[in-house]
Amino acid sequence: MSKRGIINWLHRTFFASPAHRFAWASVLLLITLAIAPTKDFFNEWRHYQRQYASFLSSRQDGAALKRNLNAGIQQIWLPDLSVVDRCTTCHLAVTEKTLQGAPGVPEPYKAHPPAGHDVKDWGCVICHRGQGPATEVAEAHTATRAWEQPLLPVKYIQGSCGSCHHGELPEAPQLARGRELLARLNCQGCHKLNNLEPASLGPDLSSVGYKVSRAWIYKWLKEPRTVLDKDGNTTVNGYESGDESRMPQYRLSEPELLSLSAFLSVQKARPLESYKVNPGVVAAWSKKLDLISQGEERFRQLMCTTCHPVAVTRAGETKLIGGNIAPELTKVGSKVNGDWLVSWLHNPQGYLAHAEMPRYGWTDEELYKVSQYVMNKLTDSDLLTAVPQLGVPTDEEVKRGKKIFLDKGCATCHSLQGILPQKDFGPDLTTMGAKNTSELDFGKSPAPHNLISYLQTKLKDPASVNPTARMPQYAWNQSDLDAVTTALLSQTGKAATSGLQQLVVAKKPASFQPVGAFAAVYERYKCYACHRFNGYGGTLAPDLTYEGSLAQKKWIFDFLKNPQTVRPALILRMPQFNMTDKEASILAEYLALAVQKPGVDPESVDPRQFTPAIAAAGKALYQAKYQCQSCHTIGGSGGYVGPNLNNAGNWLTPAWIEAWLRNPQALQPGTIEPRRDFSEDEIRDLTAYLMTLRVGISKSSPKSSANAVPIAREAGR
Amino acid sequence: MKSKLFLIAMLLSSVLCVLALSGCRKSVAAVNADPSLRAYDTEPDWNDATKLIPLGYQEAQGKRIFYQYCVWCHADATPAGPSNRSNLTSASPLMNDGEKLNGETDEFLQNIITQGGSAQGRSPMMPPYGKTLSPGDIKAVISFTRAIAQPAYKQSGSPHTTK
Repeated sequence: MSKRGIINWLHRTFFASPAHRFAWASVLLLITLAIAPTKDFFNEWRHYQRQYASFLSSRQDGAALKRNLNAGIQQIWLPDLSVVDRCTTCHLAVTEKTLQGAPGVPEPYKAHPPAGHDVKDWGCVICHRGQGPATEVAEAHTATRAWEQPLLPVKYIQGSCGSCHHGELPEAPQLARGRELLARLNCQGCHKLNNLEPASLGPDLSSVGYKVSRAWIYKWLKEPRTVLDKDGNTTVNGYESGDESRMPQYRLSEPELLSLSAFLSVQKARPLESYKVNPGVVAAWSKKLDLISQGEERFRQLMCTTCHPVAVTRAGETKLIGGNIAPELTKVGSKVNGDWLVSWLHNPQGYLAHAEMPRYGWTDEELYKVSQYVMNKLTDSDLLTAVPQLGVPTDEEVKRGKKIFLDKGCATCHSLQGILPQKDFGPDLTTMGAKNTSELDFGKSPAPHNLISYLQTKLKDPASVNPTARMPQYAWNQSDLDAVTTALLSQTGKAATSGLQQLVVAKKPASFQPVGAFAAVYERYKCYACHRFNGYGGTLAPDLTYEGSLAQKKWIFDFLKNPQTVRPALILRMPQFNMTDKEASILAEYLALAVQKPGVDPESVDPRQFTPAIAAAGKALYQAKYQCQSCHTIGGSGGYVGPNLNNAGNWLTPAWIEAWLRNPQALQPGTIEPRRDFSEDEIRDLTAYLMTLRVGISKSSPKSSANAVPIAREAGR
Repeated sequence: MKSKLFLIAMLLSSVLCVLALSGCRKSVAAVNADPSLRAYDTEPDWNDATKLIPLGYQEAQGKRIFYQYCVWCHADATPAGPSNRSNLTSASPLMNDGEKLNGETDEFLQNIITQGGSAQGRSPMMPPYGKTLSPGDIKAVISFTRAIAQPAYKQSGSPHTTK
């Protein structure tokens, strides 16, 4: 039968009369009308709700849980955030506290563990992202054409915390580390970013020609850092411990390296404030055989490693030891010019007005010994061997170098006299964390097409997604790469609605602006580089916001003149500043009076009330009932979690001890010492005992500082 | 001719109906992501640093609290260097010591952290943390301990489950 024949036959059989036609049309209409209810009946969420009901009937507590169950589509609406969240339609038990951590509960019925935001009020998508209004599994969880924001993998979920919490958030350490890295590596130099700590800039290069040679600049530009790993292999731009160099590696060609090193080596904008060691000192010391070893000892005693890391090789393993707030010094002797070093050590601000290194009151003898040690021992004879012969820079090279300096965006981090900072050199990243996949250019990269993979591919190797990328090469370890990814995912732009603005947890501004004589000494010794006052300053050393309530004025004075280590477990000790008595007493007076904890008046507890009997009772409490020696050391025995209490009677004020024993966290949030149930009598007894602990302040202490060295090395492992 | 047009229209609309009914549904299998991305955080196995133990949200909060308050006496290595364990007159258990801790119930651990060692007849060197950490914090620390335990901790069946 031909095709025509079939059609004719169909027509004759089913559509011959108008009644037939009407009947068929009606059937089709009915089917069409039935589509929606049928689809609805077979919807995934109904399936999950039915399954949940049967799951509940298999449990003893099912009846109670069933009472909380509402049939139908569930919705959490956050109008201020313009969020509609229907996840609880299938995740029916997500708010059931009795199911938290219960075994044998299948997905999607697991309860959410206790979290900062109650799921009942906040829903799921503010943290997990995904398509909130969707009621189908794939639509809600994965990227679709209409909604390109899939669920955020739990590994990066702290990125969502950062969208609203702009300040510190201890519960989200990965986010905090990522933000720290963004600021530390000065990503803001090129990119616009929201709510970050002020960026830390690279060094001012205006007079770098006085400091280093052209060969060293060439080497540094080529390989910003070269370290040996434990197998003796050379790793370029080594990155292991957080003490890494902040300078990334630029993809520079040989001619570019030649020109840029030429340009930088002629930067001598400000004449060096030169300082020469007294020739008498040089004459007396240069002949001594132990000059270098004496210099090394002094280098240790001065506690340079409190701020500067130095690589130490022990048992075949090379590790950086020391603080991480100043440049690494392992090979600095092969880097800097010897005359420059002496002038720098004498007065860092003479070379760089904004240098954070304090101006120590070192003697010529110390300057000479230490600089000789640095220039002769902290060296690497192989450092510059691969550098080609570089002559005197030609004008042509210098001119080309300046162009490269600008083309590569060097001025985003480094200032140079006569060159304006390059603002917004790279793309704006303020909405990077909310980008759709279709907005991202993967180039020829085989990386999976999603936002996280894009971020990680770009960060790991910028050229892989864009061969002409200007972004330099960073060397990340995986956990830091994840942290930076998390921090970028939190860059979701300005709040969409005014309601969100109200919900945003703003960053607390921190400031400490001292005035008068104190300010001058504070500025000279750069106290803020390590200590924090009112939230402002470094975190390397104790927070001094309440130092006036905590410590006795005389102790502060003695400590400043001769710093000793208070916490035995610490590897870093305050350096000896060689302060004058006047400077030390200006600092002690100010700290004792001006930086107090409200409510802890150092004069409020009179130590004269403490009798030997009270102190003896306190000693018994300390040693037997509460066993404080598990964390504190007195007289050489005890733990080293808390501070050494050998000299507590000279160091602490009785008012502070009492307040501390009542509630340590009220004075220092997050401190390890737990708050306990001491009675008022016990507090008095313990305070009386601690006030009896006194040792004489030793005079000049080469011995005690030398003792600090083995601890430092031991703890650096 | 008219009727043929009608026939074609009917066929077309039936096809559309079938299409609409089947929908543009994506398969659920696509939802299951890489398992390593589902861990909130990880902790290296203390006995074998190459093995990473995945941690859920609560365990990760426990890890954070552990590394702030507990690590000094309950681990062999601390962020500040040597452990304080050697300074204690009665040995503190390592937090991953499954042989010692798997036998203790969650209730007991909750109590000893909250009230301290002496209240539970154990070493008074263990101070009470009930006024410093919330019950939820302490629960999180216990869940972290359970997660890193060697030998592994086997959760006993919940009394609520009948199956």
